[in-house]
Amino acid sequence: MFSYYLQLAFRNLRRNPGLTALMIGAVALGIAVCVMTLTMYRAISGNPIWWKNDVLYAVTMDFWDPQQPNNEDKPELPPEQLTYRDAMAVYRSDIPKHKVIMHKAVGILSVDGQQVKPERTATRVTTKDFFAIFDVPFQYGGTWTDAADFGPEPVMVISRGMNEKLFGGVNSVGRRVRWNDHEFRVVGVRDNWMPLPAFYDVNNGSLEEPEDAYIPFGWNAALEIYSAGNTNGWKPEDIKTFQDFLNSEDVWIQMWVELPDAAAHDRFKAFLDNYATQQKQGGRHSRPINNRLTKPDQWLVDNGVVGNDDRVLVGLAFAFLAVCLLNTVGLLLAKFLNNAPITGVRRALGASRRQIFMQHLVEVGVISSIGALLGLALGGLLLTGLRALYTVDPTDAGGAQALAHVDVTSVVTALGLAFFATIAAGLYPAWRIGRIPPASYLKAQ
Amino acid sequence: MTAWNLRPIASALWRNRTGAVLVAFQIAIGLAVLVNAVYVVKQRVDKIGRPTGMDTANMIWVASAGFAQNFDYDASWREDIATIRGLPGVKAASVISNIPLSGGGSSSGFQAKPGEVTPDESIPGNTYDIDEQGVAALGIKLSSGRAFESQEILPPTDTFDSAPQAIVTKAFAKDIFPNDPNPLGKTFYDGISKPITIVGIIEHMHGAWVGWDKLDHVVLFPRIKRGPTAIYLVRVEPGRSDAVMREIEEKLGSSNPGRLLRWVRPFDYFIHQSYLDDRNMAIFLVSVTSALLAITALGIFGLATFNVSTRIRQIGTRRAVGARRLDIVRHFLVENWMVTSAGIVAGCGLALAIGYWISVKYELPRLDLYYLVGGMLGIWLIGLAAALQPARRASGISPAVASRTV
Repeated sequence: MFSYYLQLAFRNLRRNPGLTALMIGAVALGIAVCVMTLTMYRAISGNPIWWKNDVLYAVTMDFWDPQQPNNEDKPELPPEQLTYRDAMAVYRSDIPKHKVIMHKAVGILSVDGQQVKPERTATRVTTKDFFAIFDVPFQYGGTWTDAADFGPEPVMVISRGMNEKLFGGVNSVGRRVRWNDHEFRVVGVRDNWMPLPAFYDVNNGSLEEPEDAYIPFGWNAALEIYSAGNTNGWKPEDIKTFQDFLNSEDVWIQMWVELPDAAAHDRFKAFLDNYATQQKQGGRHSRPINNRLTKPDQWLVDNGVVGNDDRVLVGLAFAFLAVCLLNTVGLLLAKFLNNAPITGVRRALGASRRQIFMQHLVEVGVISSIGALLGLALGGLLLTGLRALYTVDPTDAGGAQALAHVDVTSVVTALGLAFFATIAAGLYPAWRIGRIPPASYLKAQ
Repeated sequence: MTAWNLRPIASALWRNRTGAVLVAFQIAIGLAVLVNAVYVVKQRVDKIGRPTGMDTANMIWVASAGFAQNFDYDASWREDIATIRGLPGVKAASVISNIPLSGGGSSSGFQAKPGEVTPDESIPGNTYDIDEQGVAALGIKLSSGRAFESQEILPPTDTFDSAPQAIVTKAFAKDIFPNDPNPLGKTFYDGISKPITIVGIIEHMHGAWVGWDKLDHVVLFPRIKRGPTAIYLVRVEPGRSDAVMREIEEKLGSSNPGRLLRWVRPFDYFIHQSYLDDRNMAIFLVSVTSALLAITALGIFGLATFNVSTRIRQIGTRRAVGARRLDIVRHFLVENWMVTSAGIVAGCGLALAIGYWISVKYELPRLDLYYLVGGMLGIWLIGLAAALQPARRASGISPAVASRTV
């Protein structure tokens, strides 16, 4: 029966080619715009570490200006980064399973005696757990030791892409690399890793690629490395030396901890509150104690990674899909009613209402399928166009490249959604046509 | 009014309302999206088009990063600046600490009196360190006062100090000295109460962050940027920027092995990047809205076509009993106009609701009603245009059809 309905469907499609093309076009356009917008939305605002959402926490503490909050719009939130001295003090706790304090820097990477142009490289100055806490994969080697962090030892992890540039992609563990003027030894090569958005450091664009080099945290004091991200201060301080800067109230360090269960969470929270109380008693600040442990999904919301534009885009995508579906319902209805006399004959010859309904639903399915296929192709084209819009400098892909890493699930989700919405849109016309009393059409013949 | 036969048209429409209701819903959504999209796009276009106060078309930016152990920053920038100033077509060149309109920069709080002040009395300013050619290189207009002189330029420093003199924008001066029409020569203070004298006032200039409402609060200090990375700002004669960029790459690219000439870029590169999201949002809204209106127009067209094709016999009968072609065209246009109007009425409510939501989200003024009126007229026109062809086809139906199939 199904194959017969399919045959009928194709025959009917050919009967009014204009109307058919209009319908398929509307479905395809609706699906294409939805696939594009939702893919973009997901790339910008998904939770890239959802599997650890219940154990990962961003650590923030409020030592900001007693007279005004860090963010006037969200006065309940502490600054998104910590001061150096608070980060160092809190890092000593052994409650978390993994813990990381870090910031972004920029250095020039080169290899002695190799014909590779020195390259300006985004570098993460971080403690060793960075890779374990965010489940960062390694191609070769691994992270450094505890002792290396504050020694600090001249060890470095480089990205797979950087390893290809510097060493042609071979296992480079043990090789020497120059960072500005200091020699480091490669201990690990990070495999491809592209969290979208870059949740672990929200200072820069959320579509930014991860750093290509990683060095132990102790080097920032040893080499006087300033942050290449944001450094924010509120207190007028007479900062003359790097040591003054490290002791200042400027916030520039990001901290994350992994707390495996509620007990660990509560203990660590108590530890933070205790530390803040001590600081307060020491006369440091007069802001109410406000220490926060924030899960990744909330972190993205707090930091406005899901921007207003993105929400408008999603609203627009759904408005668009709605118009396309209304259109499809209208056109399907017109088409089915056009063929009503034939349906009348079928009913008179003994087809049940259910059979008529099924037959028309198959026709809707055929239209949706063709529309979905075309829509997917069109959506791909639109995404290519979108990438071009976001490409500023072809040699410096960054955000545009992030859109290329679009994952299959989001496309399948958007496609499935649109497909089933179209089928749902066909339910009413298919039902309606089955309700028509056959006599009224037979009469006119 | 009876000549227009409104009542029979309405009742005919009501008997087959499903299609009409669907199209009216499309029109409602279409109007709501159109009105708000135009409003948001207008805001973005205005934002991108704001005057910057600088000679943006003729400015080039150069970054040089020293990395070798024996790198001599002082000698390096002196040599580079001398080389650049000697190139044909260069009007002025300066070492500068940051690039305006690039999204990167630094800002500090300043105050009109020394000592502790309340947060309200601390006035933020985008700060830039420039040398004696800085004002000329930026192409900014001083409404009073003077540019920096070479003996005032301080050497690079590791501290975050301000300098004893500054050139500030009118907007900044007005905020810090609200009651003083001519603040030239007055003294203001930085966060640790170091005095700064205003030696010049800039008519208008943009600072670092295009999304900041204090974008036009700029404070220029006479100082050389801290090493080992130098940024040079070069202003060229109109039309010479490509040639000068090539020359700079050639001359500076190989002059010093202890540094990396990171890039030589036109100003557009940074401005484009800063406004990228605004520009893309505008492009995106315009394209999606046009596509949406096109689909809505197709929906109207489809409905009208269907209505004509199911009433061929009735049309023939009307023609046979004396209706003119014009009457038939009018019938379908009026019918379509009723559907469109119903959609527009619903769409007005929807447009205002979405407009309210957007104005809250973006902290924009409430949707201007002119946009709504314009959108309504636009949708009416689109509706008429979409129904015109089916209506004309209907008027071509021969009166003979009335008798043919009976």
